[in-house]
Amino acid sequence: MFKLNTITLAFLLSIACFTLNAQQATTVNPGTAKGIVRDTAQNYVLKSATVSIYKSADSTLLSYQVTNNYGEFSFKNLPVNVLLRLDINNVGYYTSRKTFTIPAGKNTIDLQTIVANRRDITLDDVVITVPPISMNGDTLEFNAAAFKLDSNAVVEDLLRQIPNITLWGDGQITVNGKEVKSLLVNGKSFFGGDMKQATQNLAKNAVQKIQVYNKSRSQQSTNPADSTLEMNIKLKKGKDVGFFGKIGAGYGTDKRFETDASINMFTPKMQLAVVGAINNINKIADNTRDLQSNSTFKGVGTNVEYQPDFRAEGITRPSALGANFTYNFIEKPTWELKNTLKSNYFLQDKNTNYLADAKTTTSVNSTDKVIDNSITNNQSSNTTQRFDSNYEYTKKGHNLNFSQEVNFNQGDNVDQTFRTATNLQDVLTSTNNSMNTGNYNNKSFRFGGQYRYSPYIITQTTRFRGFEANYNLNTYNNESDRLNLTEFKSFTGTAANQKFNRKYNTLAEGFRQELNLTIQDLKGLIFGNKKYSRMSFDLTNRLLLNSDKNNNRVQDLDTINNVYRTNAYLNNQITTNVIEETPGLRIRRSFSKSMSNRYYKSLSLTFHPKELLISQDNKSDRSFQNLKRNYSQFAPDVEISFYNNQYGETSRNYSLEYRTTLKIPNINQLAPLTDSTDVYNLRRGNINLKESVQRELSFSFYSDDQHSKNTLNYNFTLRAGLIANNIVDSLLIDEQNRRTVYLVNADGNKYLNGEAGIRKALKLKTSEFQFNLYGNFNTAINPGYTNSVFTYSSNLNTYYSGSVNYTYKSYLAVALSQSWSTYKSKQEAFNTQYSGKNVGTTLTASYNITKKLTLNSNISNNNSSSSNSKNIVYTIWNANLVCRFLKGNNAEVKFAALDLLRQNTSVINYGDANSFTIGRQNVLTQYFMTTISYYPRQFGKKAKAKK
Amino acid sequence: MLKFALSSLIICIFSYGHAVAQASKIDSTGMVTLRIDPNSARGAAVSQFFDEVIFTPLETTKESLFGSINSLKIAGDNYVIYDWETKAVLIFTKAGKYVAKINANKIEKDPKVKDQSFYGFNIKKEDGQVLIEISSGKQIYYFDLTAKLVKKVPIVKDKQKDYTNYKKFSDGTIIDQAFLEESGKDSIYYNVSILKDGKRVESYFPYRTADHKGDERWHGGRVYDYGNPDEYLFVKNFYYNIYKLTAKKLSLAYRILFPASNSLPMDYDTNPIYKGKGYDYYEKNRDVFYDLANSYLHFNNLYFQVRNWNWSRDEKKAFIYNLKTTELTSIADIEPDSTSQFLPITDLASQYDFTNKGFHIVTPECFYTSYSSLTLFTAKEQNEDKNRKYNAALTEYFKTQNKKSNPIIIQLKPKKF
Repeated sequence: MFKLNTITLAFLLSIACFTLNAQQATTVNPGTAKGIVRDTAQNYVLKSATVSIYKSADSTLLSYQVTNNYGEFSFKNLPVNVLLRLDINNVGYYTSRKTFTIPAGKNTIDLQTIVANRRDITLDDVVITVPPISMNGDTLEFNAAAFKLDSNAVVEDLLRQIPNITLWGDGQITVNGKEVKSLLVNGKSFFGGDMKQATQNLAKNAVQKIQVYNKSRSQQSTNPADSTLEMNIKLKKGKDVGFFGKIGAGYGTDKRFETDASINMFTPKMQLAVVGAINNINKIADNTRDLQSNSTFKGVGTNVEYQPDFRAEGITRPSALGANFTYNFIEKPTWELKNTLKSNYFLQDKNTNYLADAKTTTSVNSTDKVIDNSITNNQSSNTTQRFDSNYEYTKKGHNLNFSQEVNFNQGDNVDQTFRTATNLQDVLTSTNNSMNTGNYNNKSFRFGGQYRYSPYIITQTTRFRGFEANYNLNTYNNESDRLNLTEFKSFTGTAANQKFNRKYNTLAEGFRQELNLTIQDLKGLIFGNKKYSRMSFDLTNRLLLNSDKNNNRVQDLDTINNVYRTNAYLNNQITTNVIEETPGLRIRRSFSKSMSNRYYKSLSLTFHPKELLISQDNKSDRSFQNLKRNYSQFAPDVEISFYNNQYGETSRNYSLEYRTTLKIPNINQLAPLTDSTDVYNLRRGNINLKESVQRELSFSFYSDDQHSKNTLNYNFTLRAGLIANNIVDSLLIDEQNRRTVYLVNADGNKYLNGEAGIRKALKLKTSEFQFNLYGNFNTAINPGYTNSVFTYSSNLNTYYSGSVNYTYKSYLAVALSQSWSTYKSKQEAFNTQYSGKNVGTTLTASYNITKKLTLNSNISNNNSSSSNSKNIVYTIWNANLVCRFLKGNNAEVKFAALDLLRQNTSVINYGDANSFTIGRQNVLTQYFMTTISYYPRQFGKKAKAKK
Repeated sequence: MLKFALSSLIICIFSYGHAVAQASKIDSTGMVTLRIDPNSARGAAVSQFFDEVIFTPLETTKESLFGSINSLKIAGDNYVIYDWETKAVLIFTKAGKYVAKINANKIEKDPKVKDQSFYGFNIKKEDGQVLIEISSGKQIYYFDLTAKLVKKVPIVKDKQKDYTNYKKFSDGTIIDQAFLEESGKDSIYYNVSILKDGKRVESYFPYRTADHKGDERWHGGRVYDYGNPDEYLFVKNFYYNIYKLTAKKLSLAYRILFPASNSLPMDYDTNPIYKGKGYDYYEKNRDVFYDLANSYLHFNNLYFQVRNWNWSRDEKKAFIYNLKTTELTSIADIEPDSTSQFLPITDLASQYDFTNKGFHIVTPECFYTSYSSLTLFTAKEQNEDKNRKYNAALTEYFKTQNKKSNPIIIQLKPKKF
C-alpha cells in the first residue's frame, strides 16, 4: 500500500516537473503584439472584434482575443522571428488580414491601426474566415472551423481546445467556472440528454459552432440566481441528418466474452437509437442510456465507469437490448413552443451466480457475543422489460405532460444457505440450513399527467397567476411461487430442532393514485392588484389513495402422507386501503436588495403549514389483522434561502430547510403473521405501535466563483434530524443465534450527516490539472433493545475522497484518486465497539502512443481493515492496448488483460448497529480478451457518386 | 404641396380613433422630415463635440453609499441627486464631497402613513434660499442644502393634484401627462395637457381606459428638458416624431423616417390586431424601433436614442443628428481622447445608465451624465499599459477607491454648432 502510494506520488511529481519544464519552454516565446482595429470610413473603433493570430506557415492558431472598449488588442507569449498572420473578424465586416514578424531582440511589435472594411451587403452565410470566438448579443460562440484538429476529432476534443471551457473527469462541463446544466444539439436534447452522447460521438467537422448562454429557469424571473448555463451545439447545414454506432465482439480466456452493438440515427425532427450487449464479465448496464454512453466513438479513456466490475458480487452474465425514440413535432422548439414525444424500450436478461462466505459477530449483552458463519450459494436469473414514453406540449404559458411506463419482471432463483452459530468460546450452538427455490412474475404500470399554467405575460391586472395539477397512477400485480426447506438443529440448551418444508404462492396487487393541486398567488386572485400584504399565498393539496391486496397461499408438507396441506395460520388474504389527504397553505415572503453594479441579494422565507390526515384500513381473513387506524399530524415545512451575488466576485447560495414527515406502522409491523421457518429472524409485530414523526433540519451552501480564470467552487450540506417514537427492533437472541424481532416505539433516535465538495481546475498552456475533494459523514444514535436491555448504539460512517486529473495536450491523461471509508459502532449498554476501514487508491492512465494507438491502464489497491480481524489487501491491475485503423478510425482492435496480478478476492466488511460482518464472495478473476469493434458513422447525406 | 399632403396625412393618422375626444389640434406647419439610417452613423473624437470633460467622483462613505443617480439637479454649489435604490436624496458639493442625506428616516413619523418613502425631489428658490422640496405622505417637506428641515406644508386635501414633481414652464404653466376629463364611464385621459393656474389650456392625445384594456403596451409619452425654460421636447411611444411643447401649444417639429427594417407599421399604436401582442411582435421583429427616447436639442444638434429588442452592444442606438449638415454621429462611438483623459464620456459600451436616463441635465452650456465606478475602473484597467496621466482628482480617486465606490458625475461642455 505504502509502496504503491510512493510510486504514484513519484509519478505525479515527475509529471508536474515535466509540465513546469513545458511551461518554461513556452516562455521562450517572449513576443508581444498590439494594435487598434478601426473602421476608418465611419471613423470609429471596433469594440468587440475578434483578433486571431496564426502561424503563417501552417495556419496553426496561436492565440485569439476580443478587442476592448478602445478597439485595442494586445498579445503576449508570441514566437519571435516567425512569420505570423493576424485575422480580424467582426459581424458585417470583411476579414482584415495582416502578416508580420516580431523582430528578435526587440520582442515587440505595434501594428498600430488596422483598418476594417464594411461589407455593404450583409449576407449571413457568406463567411470568409471564421474567428475562434465571437459574442453574438448575450451568446458566446466558439466556431469549430477556427480550431484545427485531427479529421477524426469529436466535439469533446474541440471543447478541450477552448481555454474558457473545462471538461471534468466526471463528465461535467464548465464555462469560465460555471457549470453547464444542459447541452442541446440544434436546440434540442440529443439522445436523452446525456452530454457524452453529443460530445463523444458528433464529429467536430459536422459542427458549425458551439453556443453558450444563460437560460432563465422560469420565464418571468428576473432573479439572476434563477439562471443556468446552457450549451448548444449548432451543426453545419446539411449535417443535421446522420447516424453513428458501434458493433463489437470479444473473446478471451476462461470462456469470457462480450459483444455489443448500437446504432443511433437522427434527422432534424427524429432521433432513434437501438443498442444491445451480451457478456459474462459483469459489465451490467441497467438502462439504454448507460449502454449508449459506453459505446461512443471517442471511447471511455480514463473513465472507468463501465468496465468489468471486479467488485460486483458473484459472476453475472447480462444481456441487454434497448431502443429509444424521440420525435420533435416542432423542428426548432423554443421555451414557449414545444411538442415532443419520447419513447424508450429496455430488455435485460441476467444470470448470476453468487457464492459468499461471511462471519457476523453480534453483541448479545455486555459480555456475550454470537458468531454467525454463513455460506451462501445463489443462482438467479431475471428478465426485465420496460417500456416508457413521455409527451410534452408547451405553448405560451401552458405546459402539458403525459408519461407512462410498463414494467415486466420475471425470474427464478435457487438460494442455499448454510449457517452455523458459535459462542465466544468457539462452541457450536446451532445450525440452520435452508434452501429456497422460487420464481416470480411482476407487472407494473405507471401513468402520470401534469398540467401547469403560468400566464405568458403578467401585468398589473393579471389576477390568475398560475395553477398546477399533477396526477400519478401506479398499479402492480406481483405473483410468486416459493419452496422453502429449512432445518434447524440446536446443540445446546433445550431448544427443539425444527424442520420445515413449506410452499408459498403469493399474489400481491394494488394501485396508488396521487393528485397534487397548487393554486398560485391566492391573494392576487381574490384581491386583484391591491397590496394588502407583501406575502404571497399558494394553496396546496395532496391526495393519495393506496390500495394493496395480498393473497398468500401457504402449504406445508405432511411428511406422513407426503402431501402438501394448507397452513391454516399463514394462509391469508389481506387488503389494506390508505387514504392520505394533505391540505396546506404556502406562505412566502421575499426580500431583495441590490445596488447597481455592486451586489444583488435576495432572501426568501417560506412557511408551509400542512395537516397530514391518514386513514389506514386493513381487512383480513384473520380477525386480529382487521385494524382501522386514523392518524393526523400538523406537519409544517419551513424554508429560508439567501442568495448573495457580488458582481464580478462570487455568487453564493445559502438555504435552511425544516421538514416534518410522518411514518405510520404498516400491518406487517402491527400484526404480522409470523413465519416460523425464519428461525434466525422471527418477526413479531406489536399492535400498540404508534406513528413516528421525523423532524429534519438541513442547511446547504454553495459558492460560485465569477472570475474568468482558475476558478474555485465549493459546496456543503448538513442535515440533522430527530425521530420521535421511531419504530425500532427489540431483539431477542438466544445462544443458538435464534433471533426474534419485536417492534417497539422508542424515542431518542438522532442523526447528523453532511457532505462537502470542492473542485478546482488549473489550465496551463498545454496541460490541465483538476482537483476534486469530497467527503461525507453520517453519525446516528439508534435506540433499541437487545435481550430486553435498552441500549443506544452510536454509529459513525465516513467517506472521503480526493482525486487529481491531469491531461497533457491530447497525449496523456492520468487520474489518481484515493478514498477512505470508515465505520464505527458502539453499544453503550454492552460497552462494545466495532470499527473498520476501507482505503482505496486508483491510478488510471491513458496514453496515446500514436494517433491510432492508445495504451490504457488502471490499478486499484484496496485495503480493508476491521477491529477484530486481519487486514485484507489486494490490488487489481487492468490494462489494455487499443488500436484504431481505417481512414476514419472506424475500426478498433483491443487487447485487454484484466486482474493482471490475480489478486481479486472481493472482501465483505461492513458494520451494523450492534454487529459487524467480514467475509469473502466469489468475484471475477484474471482473464485476457481480444475485442474487435467497428464504428459506422456519417454526418450529413452521402455525396452522390459521380457518374 | 407634397409637404402639405404629408402633414395632413399624418394629422389624419393621429386623428384616427381619437375623433370622439375633445383634443386640441397639433400644429405641424413647421414640421421637418429627417431621413436617418442608423447604419450610416459615424464615430468622432470627444474633442470634436466637447471642449471640456470634468469627472467628479462622488465621495463614498458608509452613509453616502448609494446605487445610481436617478435624477440630478444643481442647487447652488451643490449636486443634489435622487437614488431609487436607497430611496434617498443625497447632497454633494460640486467637488464631489458628501454633505448630507435625506431619506424616510429624516421625515417625522406620521402614524397615518404606512410608507414614508419618496420618489423624487424638486429644487425651489424661496426668499433667496435654495430649498429641496420633497413630497411624502400628506406633507410637502422643505429642506435646506445641509438636509435640515426648514418647513413642512400639508398637501391640500381637495381635488387638486399634488403638482410638486411636475415639469413646469418659466411662467408656472404645468405639463400634466395624466389629465382626466371626468364624465363617468366616458372619462377621457390625455397624454399631454398644458395647465395654467389650475385650468386647462390645451390637451393632446386623448384615450379612454377601455381603449387599452388587454394591451400590455404602454401608450404614453415622455417630456424632455433641454435647458430652454420655455420649451420642452415630447416624444410619444410607437411614433418617430419629436414634438416641441410650449406653454401655449404642442407642435410637431421633426418627423424621422428610419429604414423599413427598423420601422413599426404606421398603425401599430391604434390597430387592434397588435393589442396584447406587443411582445410577440418585438420577438419576431427585433430590429424594429418601438420607441424614441432621451431627446434634446442643442443648437443644430438633435440628440436622441432608439429602442429595440436587439441587445447587442454593437448595435448603435444613441445618436447626434446635425440638422444643418445632416451628419449622424453615434454617441457610443465618440472616442475618448485627451479632452476626456482617454476615459469614456458615457457608459454606452458597458452598462446602462446612459441608455436608461440619457443626460441628467442639458443646458446650452453644460451636459451632465453619470456612470458607475465599475465602468470607470474597467476603462482605467484597459488603459493600464499606456502610461496615461490623470488629473489630481482622478489620480486620488483611482488610488483610494475601487469598483464598488459611488458613481461618477461627468460634466461635458459642448461645442456650440
